[in-house]
Amino acid sequence: MEDKLEQLRDEAVGAFQNAEDNEQLEQARVEYLGRHGRLREAMASIANLPEERRPTIGNLANRASREMEQVYQQRQQELAQQTAAQESGERIDVTLPGRASRVGRRHPLLATLDEMIEIFLGLGFTVAEGPEVENYYYSFEALNYPEFHPAMDEQMTFYIGDDALLRSQTSPVQIRVMEQQQPPVRIVAPGRCFRRDTVDATHCHTFYQLEGLLVDEGVTFADLKGTLEVFAREMFGPSCHMRFRPDFFPFTEPSAEIALTCIICGGEGCRACEQTGWMEVGGSGMVDPNVLAGVGYDTEKYTGFAFGVGVERLAMLRHGIDDIRLFYSGDMRFLAQL
Amino acid sequence: MRVPYSWLQDYLQADIEVERLCHLLTMGGLEVEEARDWTATDGEASDQILMTTVTPNRGDLLSMMGVARHAAALSGTDFVDPVTSFPEIDNPVTDVKKASRGPVTVEIADPVGCPRYSALLIDGVNVGPSPDWLRHRMEAAGIRSINNVVDCTNYVVWEMGQPLHAFDFRLLKDGHIIARRAEEKEKLLMLDGTWQTLGPEDVVIADPMGSVALAGIMGGTDTQVSETTSRVLLESAHFDPVAIRRTSLRLGVGTEASYRFERHVDPNLTLPALARAAELIMMTAGGQIAQATIDVKTRDFATQSLQLRPARCNSILGTDLDAAAMADLLRRLGFGVEEGELLTVEVPTFRPDVEREIDLVEEVAIVYGYENIELTVPGHLTSTGRLTEQQRLRRRAGELLRECGLYENLSFSMMDPSDLDQCCWPRDDVCCDFLALANPASSDLTAMRTTLLPGLLAAAARNARQRVTDVALYEIGTVFYPETEKSLPSERQHVAAVMTGNLLTADWSLPTEQGQVDFYYMKGIIEQLCQGLGVPELGFVRQKHSTFHPGKCAQVQLEGELIGLLGEIAAEVAEAYDLPDGACAFELDLDMLLERAVLYATYQPVARFPAAERDLAIIVPDNDEFASARLIEEIEQAAGEFLESVTPFDVYSDPQQIGAGRKSIAFRLVFRADDRTLTDAEVEAAMSAVHSYVEEEIGAEVRK
Repeated sequence: MEDKLEQLRDEAVGAFQNAEDNEQLEQARVEYLGRHGRLREAMASIANLPEERRPTIGNLANRASREMEQVYQQRQQELAQQTAAQESGERIDVTLPGRASRVGRRHPLLATLDEMIEIFLGLGFTVAEGPEVENYYYSFEALNYPEFHPAMDEQMTFYIGDDALLRSQTSPVQIRVMEQQQPPVRIVAPGRCFRRDTVDATHCHTFYQLEGLLVDEGVTFADLKGTLEVFAREMFGPSCHMRFRPDFFPFTEPSAEIALTCIICGGEGCRACEQTGWMEVGGSGMVDPNVLAGVGYDTEKYTGFAFGVGVERLAMLRHGIDDIRLFYSGDMRFLAQL
Repeated sequence: MRVPYSWLQDYLQADIEVERLCHLLTMGGLEVEEARDWTATDGEASDQILMTTVTPNRGDLLSMMGVARHAAALSGTDFVDPVTSFPEIDNPVTDVKKASRGPVTVEIADPVGCPRYSALLIDGVNVGPSPDWLRHRMEAAGIRSINNVVDCTNYVVWEMGQPLHAFDFRLLKDGHIIARRAEEKEKLLMLDGTWQTLGPEDVVIADPMGSVALAGIMGGTDTQVSETTSRVLLESAHFDPVAIRRTSLRLGVGTEASYRFERHVDPNLTLPALARAAELIMMTAGGQIAQATIDVKTRDFATQSLQLRPARCNSILGTDLDAAAMADLLRRLGFGVEEGELLTVEVPTFRPDVEREIDLVEEVAIVYGYENIELTVPGHLTSTGRLTEQQRLRRRAGELLRECGLYENLSFSMMDPSDLDQCCWPRDDVCCDFLALANPASSDLTAMRTTLLPGLLAAAARNARQRVTDVALYEIGTVFYPETEKSLPSERQHVAAVMTGNLLTADWSLPTEQGQVDFYYMKGIIEQLCQGLGVPELGFVRQKHSTFHPGKCAQVQLEGELIGLLGEIAAEVAEAYDLPDGACAFELDLDMLLERAVLYATYQPVARFPAAERDLAIIVPDNDEFASARLIEEIEQAAGEFLESVTPFDVYSDPQQIGAGRKSIAFRLVFRADDRTLTDAEVEAAMSAVHSYVEEEIGAEVRK
């Protein structure tokens, strides 16, 4: 009997809810709740039950009746509202475009830089800044560049005067920070750099770099590798690794070029990575003792690593951008996409 | 450098496959960009050419021998030295006095620029074309074949890395060579046919008549080897890298020789190179050695002895190598190692870049292999990483502008000073005093920017050219102002924005003219920015500035101090940039703004009792004296303690209704008390005070 009542209730609720107009709803009402409807029928049969079961079943029947009535009324109301809306002609074209105040976007290059910074903030680095127009001292001398060394050729420096130049890398910030503080030092320095490069799809005289510096007791080359490996995985996923191979920078010894697993081919070799499976993204190494001594650090007590990562290439990979000049185009059609 | 694979194999005991060789070298610090297939133009030879990129510290890798030696070390195979031996060369005349008795005499007058000069005279050569094997090697390495004698000297340059020069001995006055500095304005006709004017900075090789070669860079035309040469004087000298580089940079002349000398050549290579060149010349052009080699040294070039602490090496690399393993790695590079508690390392003279213990550490790492060093993460965190308040505020400023619908733009830090003219910037403005680049890369970017506006206007113009007229761009960037007393300029962060066209990109429901950007919209953005940053309210004062519309421009003030400009772009500027009508822009000194910004606002309790609102419409003369800001200030004074806010809501001027030269302005006044609901009587009293004040003190007409 209980099952029968429940089934009856479910059927009635279904019929009410599915009624598409007043006529269907009325039909359903008559069928289930009407004077000769199925609910009455069921209630009448309670009289045939054993006396001790009648109160329980009676309660159940009353509850089912209330629920059915409720759903019926709710649906009746809904249908009434629908009709009213239709009658008053309040219908809109829901396919017209939406309207909202416009929200701008972060520049994709700086959004990438922000993401890189977030990763290093998570590793306990803080963010340091330095001037874009630099002295010769911070740009070269303090970074252990010998005077008249061919390594200066690679920097393709813009000069403003005898002692002022546009920094060609963010490394001068290392010196400015170390002059101001004793170890431990754990900073990243993001910023604009400049080299006298001819502008084409992959080169520009203006570019962004993220410099990193960690100086403390017992810092090793293995730590450098581990830290940048974490960066690579955080940036491009667990299958992305960082490759280190010997290179030369006056301010680090040993020095290493750093390259990421090509994220286009996953390291298989493709056109983008010139079939090598790797994409060079910057330089790194153990801070040269001459640099540490230059800022008055005890080189026997402290060691450190430094790195510089180019931002453009990562942003281009991240968003599939094929021309570096787009970054400086100010083209709304470009900026609004990313 | 082009490194032909078969040439390299001459010096390797065991064959190493090309692909493995490329990998070994690349991972060993000599990048091989690619291995290129090559066939000689006569079709008689083919090879694979490794295209290498040499870092500026490794001059020793600028030769076949150097690359082979490194490959041998990295692969653990043996290196085969090509050096031959001749009695005339093995026992050179080093005494200058003795050297002054033969047909060739050598004198070093500049021991700094030229610390060593070795020379060898070969008689009876037949200058002619080179044999095929030599021509093929020249072509494979990318060297132009000249004749057998010159080709042999070049062969040795590429093979061993020691630049050589061949003189026609007959043309050298008295057979006397002098290495000296050039005289002031001394002239030399170079092998490439150009005249160079030299000076005391430049090292030259001369005979008693005058200079015959620019030392370490290029020979002179007058003494070059030709078809008729039969006596050849070979020069094999060591020159100072700095002197060569200065001259090369100053004259803008770079050659294979100068490239090598700048990067250090082994000073002890002069004699082996002469022996090898003599062997090859006699083999291909005949002749014989005419006189014992002359070798004038102004000092000794001994190997350097360094010490390496194995524990220190491990503590820098994060490795766990024992001393014997380190010794083995260094020996593979050709270093002599004596083992003990410390390793005593003899550094050969072909590695002048290895001068300190840390340099040995790097050598150990390279031969051991960077890829074999494990990955670790630096120890305990001593602090958390976080942006500073200033950095967070700057980020917040950008966010606020984006929330106002502006997209972030980046333009170059360099500008064309004529950009300032194009946007009609006033000549006497501080922005017209800029830093000029000494060596700009192009004619249009020659100075450091002093304002962000020209870059933004140019971006808007580029969009307009693409028929994108709804532009909303902002930029936060550095501007540069010269500082007279300091070497570095002052760098300031500015924020600027430009907008043209519609506010909403696709609003089909608004008539176009209602959605257009205007002065007040831009002003609203500035106000939102300041509110979001917790900066005190800004002042806006009418300003004349030729970049902006004469009637729609304001200077922006923060507590009375000028911090920027806001306005509609002047018609002639809009025309010059081809911008749509009604473009608006602003630029503010962000550093000044952020100085007064607060990261965390303090909560002000919200009102508990209802407000009473009253409207006040007045008619006043339409001029700056009756600017709304002043009217609001006056009303605030007159309205008493319960006034909460005064907001203008309807402004119009209609000569027919209210008379010419007048404007009607309506304000909504909100009154509220903190502790109770105000009575009607209280509000009316305040309003009547306002009425009489504006009528009597301001002379306004109150509209009933």
